[in-house]
Amino acid sequence: MSLKDISTSVPKKDHSGKVSGQLPYISDVKVENMVYGVLVRSQVAYGKIISIQLPNLPEGYEAVGAEDIPGPNFVKIIKEDQPIFANEWVNYIGEPILMLVGKDLNILYSLLKEVKVIIEEHQAIYTLDEAIKQKSAAGVIMASYEFGESLETVSAIEQGAHQIIEEEYDTGYQEHVYLEPQGMLAIYKDDEIEVQGSMQCLYYIKNALLSALACGDDEVRVVQSPTGGGFGGKEEFPSMMACHVAVAARAVKKSVMLVFDRSEDMVVTTKRHPAKLNYRTALDKVGNILSLSVEIFLDGGANVGLSSVVLQRALINSAGVYKIPHFHAKGYVLKTNTVPNGAFRGFGAPQSFAGIESHLGHLSKLANIEPLEYKRKYLVKQGDPTITKGIFRDPILVEDMIEDLLKTSEYKKKKQEFQRFNQQNLRYKKGIGTSLFLHGCGFTGSGERDHIKATVKLVKSKDGIVMLKISNSDMGQGILTTLCKIVAKELDLPYEDVLYPYPDTKVVPDSGPTVASRTTMIVGKLLERAAKKLKAQWQSGVDQEVVEHYVHREMIPWDEKTFTGDAYPAYSWGVNFVELEVDTLTGNVKLEKVYGNYEVGKVIDDRIMKGQIDGGLAQGLAYGYLEKMTSKQGKIQQKSISDYGPPTSLDVVPIESKVFDNPYADGPYGAKGAGELTLIGGAPAVQAAIEDALHTTFQQIPITPEVIIESLWMKEGEEG
Amino acid sequence: MVEKMTATYRFDRLEQTLSQLNREDCLIMAGGTDIMVLHKSGRGVPLKLPKPLIFIDHLSELKQVFQNHKDIHIGACCTYSELLEHPLIPVSLKNAIKTIAAPAIRNRGTLGGNICNASPAGDTLPLLYVYNAKLLLRSVTGDRIVEISDFIQGPRRVQRYQNEILAEIILPSVLEEGAYVVFEKVGNRNADAIAKVGFAGYIRINEARIEDVRFAFGAVGPTMVRSIDIERKLVGKTIPLADADIVQVVAGFDKIIRPIDDQRSTATYRKTVALNLLRYFLSMKQYQAN
Ligand SMILES: Cc1cc2nc3c(=O)[nH]c(=O)nc-3n(C[C@H](O)[C@H](O)[C@H](O)COP(=O)(O)OP(=O)(O)OC[C@H]3O[C@@H](n4cnc5c(N)ncnc54)[C@H](O)[C@@H]3O)c2cc1C
Repeated sequence: MSLKDISTSVPKKDHSGKVSGQLPYISDVKVENMVYGVLVRSQVAYGKIISIQLPNLPEGYEAVGAEDIPGPNFVKIIKEDQPIFANEWVNYIGEPILMLVGKDLNILYSLLKEVKVIIEEHQAIYTLDEAIKQKSAAGVIMASYEFGESLETVSAIEQGAHQIIEEEYDTGYQEHVYLEPQGMLAIYKDDEIEVQGSMQCLYYIKNALLSALACGDDEVRVVQSPTGGGFGGKEEFPSMMACHVAVAARAVKKSVMLVFDRSEDMVVTTKRHPAKLNYRTALDKVGNILSLSVEIFLDGGANVGLSSVVLQRALINSAGVYKIPHFHAKGYVLKTNTVPNGAFRGFGAPQSFAGIESHLGHLSKLANIEPLEYKRKYLVKQGDPTITKGIFRDPILVEDMIEDLLKTSEYKKKKQEFQRFNQQNLRYKKGIGTSLFLHGCGFTGSGERDHIKATVKLVKSKDGIVMLKISNSDMGQGILTTLCKIVAKELDLPYEDVLYPYPDTKVVPDSGPTVASRTTMIVGKLLERAAKKLKAQWQSGVDQEVVEHYVHREMIPWDEKTFTGDAYPAYSWGVNFVELEVDTLTGNVKLEKVYGNYEVGKVIDDRIMKGQIDGGLAQGLAYGYLEKMTSKQGKIQQKSISDYGPPTSLDVVPIESKVFDNPYADGPYGAKGAGELTLIGGAPAVQAAIEDALHTTFQQIPITPEVIIESLWMKEGEEG
Repeated sequence: MVEKMTATYRFDRLEQTLSQLNREDCLIMAGGTDIMVLHKSGRGVPLKLPKPLIFIDHLSELKQVFQNHKDIHIGACCTYSELLEHPLIPVSLKNAIKTIAAPAIRNRGTLGGNICNASPAGDTLPLLYVYNAKLLLRSVTGDRIVEISDFIQGPRRVQRYQNEILAEIILPSVLEEGAYVVFEKVGNRNADAIAKVGFAGYIRINEARIEDVRFAFGAVGPTMVRSIDIERKLVGKTIPLADADIVQVVAGFDKIIRPIDDQRSTATYRKTVALNLLRYFLSMKQYQAN
């Protein structure tokens, strides 16, 4: 198959293996001399370990713990605050203390019940609100940043303002619900530990293993297995599991498999950070914004993990897609004794967009201006500064995208229709809501240049087959296909002649983690350049190799201390419209129509992009009204998919979407990031639509039926 | 992975099945969609069953649907998918079935299983209560018929003797003219959801006067909540009901509905919504028989 337009869809590389069910995932793998591992976990949210009593272990069964770790006892992520096996203090319920290994899971489960861990319990912090109250206590603030207009200027403006509006907004947990639960296998060999599993970031894991095993570079090896969904849940969390199995394999000299079942996965793995966002806005007489201050609190859970970076993205997006005069922002990651929160598609941005879209929606009501019209007054334009004194360099098509959706959805007509419907129908109320959003592509600031320093390699064989040697993971998002397409097109080769085997750190350079909507744009561009180079040197009948290194785009340098500069090299954009119906007797929300217009530079494969749009929107919409996870006294309450309630095909309606071309010079064929963008607009549009239907305001997501019924009940009380 | 299991039986005929049940206490397995979940024992480990297993899902004696005078008899082992296809099954019951699980589970799950599992959130139960369903239990010693409300005693507790099988569910007089029946399931999503509230309402009107009216609520107590006392007070009243009557009925149920808080919802929500659905049902201006 040769490729004319890069956007034209091709069969996915992994299509037949997945559709036929033949592709083995990690839990399908069995190797010689393999034992299983199960984890002894803390049942206490915060306390000091006094003693651990093991039952008599039958032959072939062993316990592995902190004392078996050759290197330091922490999972190498950013800070050294996450033990591999907790051996002094436990900081959340579910924290791993020990691992039992042996052949038979049945026996392991019964042994697990007999392990006695005595813990001296200390007063835990269970919720973000409690953490905010205890913010000044030692260790509660795990990260913080502040930037923007000086507070003196802001308060001077507030003095002269017509009114000051303060709003507090809460967002909940979100669970990834990847189809395949977490799983990791360490294959023991005398001179090497090979770790295989479901993962997004091979070199994060390799670096964590080098530290935990205190070993040489060639003594560990990380190989990705087919990965059934990640959504950020397999960004940093697998590093801990990899340490568990590798330490255990080293200790017992056997291969060790650790796979979670769904309930264990739901209870102990990272989730999206619950957040509280406080807005303080000065308005003039007619409702124009004079100044806006935002304060963001993220619930980090028990370890900081990637939370400081998540907070950075939350703050950078705290003004949404708007140019707001005199903007000030600060944010904190606070520690609670709950399961650590971590990376999740959008990485702090979904909380901020839900908050700012909600706030602007509410301000529009005060100004008595139609919400979309109000927001458009503040929309950033090409050449405008960002809130971190960077600049929006490239053309911005959001106005065109809005105009297009106003037409396609017959927005004005719909609004009138819904008004009539709502007057006549006592039970059901219809509403329409919109959201405007962007996503910064790639790592924040100069991360790509300073930390990642991506390298890619192309290897060509004598018979003209070209192989991609990169460390990125296909987790269902389709890069096995899209990246091969880029290389095939550049080399003028049939798509079938370009291969992308599952990466293995033994043979692939570090092209960076598979996160931050960076893979197509950054790694894809490097591959495009590598392919160009290979083409120029192409010789038939010989083996050839080319390597390419990352080159940074000219931008305003990012300074993390002052929080200024260009936070991202490029931005992708989106607009969502949502129509829905609320059942006022039950509070249930039924989506009726969902529209999305996006601008991601250039689409590399239409069908894969549609997959990102439909999946991202379903996840984003559900974040706003459906998926609900709670923690009580440090324990996650929803341990099954049905209790948590991600959307089914009966909950999501067909999504009408369109992608606008706006090629970006530093992306392959003009492509920018697309994976996270598609999630971000869902929740705020749902909220706006529910508010439109019920003529009320909400200060939180998810807006569950419980929240709606309570609000209707209070409204009834007010109206007598 | 299949370990040495306790005995399993799969006889060709109901008769042999009943004889075996008479000899030995067995776990009866119809579609298995509750049993498999109830007895699962961790990833990678086979099911742990407390008793020998006896399969009944294939027994043709338990899969018939037929009419007897004005009653409908439904074989306990009819799957949901089969019932959805059957012309004798009332539309309201079909509507309830459509809210259950998803197609794969509906291909296995049976009406008999839903009853014998006796979950407070069993979705067919509110309707079966308002239909005054009777259950035909069969054993080697013969048949007995019990009211569903007597049979179900609490969560997962039913009044079944060890040697009995639920053979048929009888919906008495459903083919009588004129009843309007609704079922509403409130779940956290539109498929594969466990009910947070279930409501069934039944009303038969003759020239604007109520001849018969029944209500049942699911997932708001240990078993279905129904009150014959409250229902009786409405018999003879005319439609549309006076506000005072509606208020009185709602107040009556307000006293006896005592839901709980759990990981799926709150007690306050469950109660408010249960009463909302009741009030809505009572406030209708007319009731089209269905
Ligand atoms: C994913 C999933 C989703 C589900 N969703 C729903 C839902 O939305 N609504 C809902 O109500 N339920 C739901 N269920 C539960 C279940 O599917 C139903 O309760 C179903 O009706 C059970 O029928 P079965 O034939 O599979 O029962 P089984 O599991 O075979 O049996 C259930 C119980 O009844 C006993 N039993 C079964 N038949 C007889 C008989 N004839 N005589 C005597 N005892 C008998 C068994 O011994 C057992 O105790 C769901 C289950 C799953 C796994």
